[in-house]
Amino acid sequence: MIVVNTDSLPGYEISHSLGIVQGNVVRAKHVGRDIAASFKNIVGGELKGYTELLTDARRDAMSRMLAQATELGADAVVNVRFSTSAITQGAAELYVYGTAVKLATSTNSAALESPPPIPVS
Amino acid sequence: MFEVLATYSIPLLILAVAFFAGNVSASRHEKSLLERQQTVAHIHTTDLNRFSQPDPTSQANLFTAEVTLGIDHFRGFLGRLKNIFGGQIRSYQKTLDRARREALTRVIEQAHYAGYNAVANVRLEFVDISGKANMVKRASIVTIIAYGTGYRTQAPPTGEQISVIPTPAII
Repeated sequence: MIVVNTDSLPGYEISHSLGIVQGNVVRAKHVGRDIAASFKNIVGGELKGYTELLTDARRDAMSRMLAQATELGADAVVNVRFSTSAITQGAAELYVYGTAVKLATSTNSAALESPPPIPVS
Repeated sequence: MFEVLATYSIPLLILAVAFFAGNVSASRHEKSLLERQQTVAHIHTTDLNRFSQPDPTSQANLFTAEVTLGIDHFRGFLGRLKNIFGGQIRSYQKTLDRARREALTRVIEQAHYAGYNAVANVRLEFVDISGKANMVKRASIVTIIAYGTGYRTQAPPTGEQISVIPTPAII
């Protein structure tokens, strides 16, 4: 599955759209992490615990979106957007959405048959 | 006199520690950020939703990065004081600026190490992770999520450098 946040893809033509696919995750930090972060926050700097929390949430949301896209038989998800909302204190929602599309093989048919896995990082 | 000192010594100590440690961590971050921006400066980065002369045989891919920065207690305290009188709160501006640059640099670095030489449609978003987005009031946390599409461009480098190294927006 190719995932981009642009509305076109180099080397491919979009044949038709299959509709919106989406994934959401609501994540809360556990109290231990909150306390650790509040100590770290005295001196400022990166709060790695929260960064990791968000990375995990983003991966989960993304895999839910990709599962939907796979179900629809999509080749790619284009125009991906991230959106967040604060549900309550200590919990955040990460919402990712995009348009699942079918690709018409144009110049890059070889790559379409074996798309590389999306990098997780 | 002694009693007053005893009562306020711990908060004052925390503020002092926060001031020095905050300074060190901020300048260290600034330094490493500049170095890393320098190494990926050749990556053509735009927030335009189009590719400039893309290589059709290379598949584009989405890259995402998150960053959470805390504002140390001393600067948080100063910010709250400043908020009474109004005006620019420079320490908050600087932290936001550093957080955005860090997140963006991480996206560009990922694209760079995955073998791409350009990033299109960059988006930066503020995340209210604490449920208290109002930094001045309570939470001194800045969370930024950045994302963009990495691709290979065939555009020849114009001049000695394609893109300009983003310098701190706030001095």
